[in-house]
Amino acid sequence: MPDYDVIVIGAGNGGLTASASLAKRGAKVLLLERHNLPGGCATSFIRGRFEFEVALHQLSGLGTPEQPGPLRGLLGQLDVLDKIEFTQEDTLYKTMIPGEFEVTIKADRAEAIAALKEKFPGESGQIDKFFDLVWEFCMQMVSIFFMKDPEASREKYPIYCKYAIKSSKEVLDTFFKDPFLKLAITSYWGYVGLPPSRLTFSDMAMLLWAYIEFKPYHIKGGSQAMSNAILDTFIQAGGYPRFNCAAKKIIIADGRVKGVVTETGEEITADYVVSNASNIATYVELVGEEHVPDDKMKMIGSRSVGPSGFTVYCGLDCEPQDIGIDVSTQFISQNTDMERQFAAWRTFDRPEMCAMTCYDFADPDFSPAGACQVAIINLQFADHWLTIPPSQYADTKYRYAQYLLDIVEKVYPGFSDALEEVDISSPITHLRYLGHPGGGFYGFEKYAKDSNLFIAPTSGIDGLYFAGAWAGMAGFQPTLESGVSAAKAIYRKMNE
Amino acid sequence: MTKQNIKQQIEGYDEIQAEIAVLKKYAHDRRTDKGAVDRVINLLHPKELKLTVSEIIEETASSKTFRLISADGYLPPFQAGQYINIFVSLAGIISSRPYSIASSPAQTAYYDVTVRRVEDGFVSNFLLDEVKIGDSLTSTSPAGLFYYNPLFHGTNLVFLAGGSGITPFMSMIREVTDRGLERTITLIYGSRDPEDIIFKDELEERAKRHGNFTFIPVISDPPSSYSGHTGFITAELMQELLGDAKATIFYVCGPEEMYKFCLPELDKLGVPKKRVRQEVFGPPKYITMEAGWPSGVKGDATFEVTIRGGETIPARADEPLMISLERAGITIPTSCRSGECSLCRTKLLSGEVFQPRGVKVRKSDRQFGYIHACMAYPLKNLEILL
Repeated sequence: MPDYDVIVIGAGNGGLTASASLAKRGAKVLLLERHNLPGGCATSFIRGRFEFEVALHQLSGLGTPEQPGPLRGLLGQLDVLDKIEFTQEDTLYKTMIPGEFEVTIKADRAEAIAALKEKFPGESGQIDKFFDLVWEFCMQMVSIFFMKDPEASREKYPIYCKYAIKSSKEVLDTFFKDPFLKLAITSYWGYVGLPPSRLTFSDMAMLLWAYIEFKPYHIKGGSQAMSNAILDTFIQAGGYPRFNCAAKKIIIADGRVKGVVTETGEEITADYVVSNASNIATYVELVGEEHVPDDKMKMIGSRSVGPSGFTVYCGLDCEPQDIGIDVSTQFISQNTDMERQFAAWRTFDRPEMCAMTCYDFADPDFSPAGACQVAIINLQFADHWLTIPPSQYADTKYRYAQYLLDIVEKVYPGFSDALEEVDISSPITHLRYLGHPGGGFYGFEKYAKDSNLFIAPTSGIDGLYFAGAWAGMAGFQPTLESGVSAAKAIYRKMNE
Repeated sequence: MTKQNIKQQIEGYDEIQAEIAVLKKYAHDRRTDKGAVDRVINLLHPKELKLTVSEIIEETASSKTFRLISADGYLPPFQAGQYINIFVSLAGIISSRPYSIASSPAQTAYYDVTVRRVEDGFVSNFLLDEVKIGDSLTSTSPAGLFYYNPLFHGTNLVFLAGGSGITPFMSMIREVTDRGLERTITLIYGSRDPEDIIFKDELEERAKRHGNFTFIPVISDPPSSYSGHTGFITAELMQELLGDAKATIFYVCGPEEMYKFCLPELDKLGVPKKRVRQEVFGPPKYITMEAGWPSGVKGDATFEVTIRGGETIPARADEPLMISLERAGITIPTSCRSGECSLCRTKLLSGEVFQPRGVKVRKSDRQFGYIHACMAYPLKNLEILL
């Protein structure tokens, strides 16, 4: 008898939902986590009187109780809905180029269309047509992949087949003329980490559609509350979490998983392993090249590591309204050229766009009374950070943070004077806390070729499963779902 | 038709497959990534430092500086004001204490830590009495939040130091004066008597040579011949020394009593809370005197702490749970030992603890029963999950 049925490596979103799902189904599960707390990205830290949200900007897929999205069901099954509170936002975002243009898009199809038409009356007809296309496309996609139509075909789903892997830019260019309009509609591109020329229409359409249909949400207590709640379900279901304990090796014998060796050299046996570590670390560090199928080694070698990010966490000693902030989520661009904005993620130049989230609208208790917190984020690849000598790392962080503060100060004068606490995370920070190559919190880049249309979700090793952003799509909803998928696959195998 | 089939009917499907074929043919060899993440981390935040004492400098009758070099050749950079948590093993117990680095971050050939004798100091007295040149020590890498942040601290800094609380300031003063940084520093340093002032000569010398650094010792127990400032660091004294302190940021570091005295004085001066940065200072001396301590529990009460899947150990009410664990031979990760860094975050499965004001436990950690063991005092028998 092995020590456990399943060992889960890593307590990020995917590792947590995999652990809790399996434990609830009666499996004996050991959850190993290198750090002292669960969550991975889904965590928080305290500075002064502020508890800063690390990663969650807008939770997708939850939906309302009346019109539930896929995530509501998932979290309900893991008893998370009973343990923590979610708050709904009524706005997707405000997007702007300071001094030139701004528009606020509500989380409602009709209102979103109306706001865009008001700003861009010359393209009214095309705005309607575009939203019709996005909705029709997404309905077809849902029908094929979520309802699993057994008779799906190109004739039956022509819109899906025509647009699925087209670039967003190509579609936007056929519909619209005004570059401001294209920027306004595509502002979520940063959530995938690819500019319109490289972002598939599927990804862009699903973002817009899903956030409008299922609304953006925040979590009371931040994403750490959700991580704690899922872990609580795991513990109550009899699971064994072990923190401050990294996995060092996945034991493979006779072509299948036999267990895990921990950092202290302890050998623990199990029939199944779920890795919430990156695919690269899992194959190269944990499994070892001698056990990795050639095709899988080539697969990870054919893919590029996605962006990490740079965030300035700001605690302000005023209400957001005091300095003019009136919305949770906003995108501040310096120009309409999203391709150029993306290129700047590989440099230390002044950023050409940033996102800014103020957490105190959706949850007035998020910060102490009379205070608020704002996260300013711009994605960044890690490569240029890796060229900085350690002695110059702190100054480099401060300089880049200053650039972001300068952008915000221009839009919201007085912002800098209101700062009470400031801390920073860089790609190096993410690399440190996640252990991912390049600090890539989105996993591999998400080109069309990287979607599950082309990449098999299997590990190529009997008994080894993946969960997290490296296993599929990135972001909170997909990573939470990925763990449940891994758990289901293992459960099916266990009962064969 | 199957799902597989519809994928193949997507416009552009074949082109993508052709692209994948090219990328796989010329795939990057990921075996070269082995160890890459650890190599980056070990340059900035290695998990543990192996140190050798290279020099011991007598500072005052009660304090010494230990110059620590790396046993394996590399010390990571730090920000002036940060500390290392030094581990010692004595009488069969492994424990640790954080010490601010006093040397300048401009070089990392060594870290200086300056230790002052305290009554019953478990680790400090060991360092002062037992440690010799050439001895080995281990520590965490530099950590802590008490450092200058150029994004919002401005350039006019006032340091309020008490006793050995001078050490993080020493690093900051050395950095600013040696590098010629554009910051103005006024150090108001409280000591019992003039002989007690750590780094006295160096501070006076630096003040003489650098127009942007002012050193003001304040002596609480002065000899009759003493002509400088005496008493405590009061609002009146600060008003007199600093004049209008509106654009100033205050940093405070010293013993527990100093915060109790100085913070209200800063209030009297009208300094907003956000302009006051404080270093943490470890568990309070008399926990049963802290606000909120339940009157029904005596300090010397002893409870049982059961570790799930492990042993049951005794724990005194007036000792942090972390120390009771260490007495029983159980070391858990720790860095600040002051409730701030959260490395010792521990799940309380049953029972009740007292955590004094200022312990930085996350909101949802409170909801789900997590405690910071370095500043959690048992009030009942406990069951914990490590």
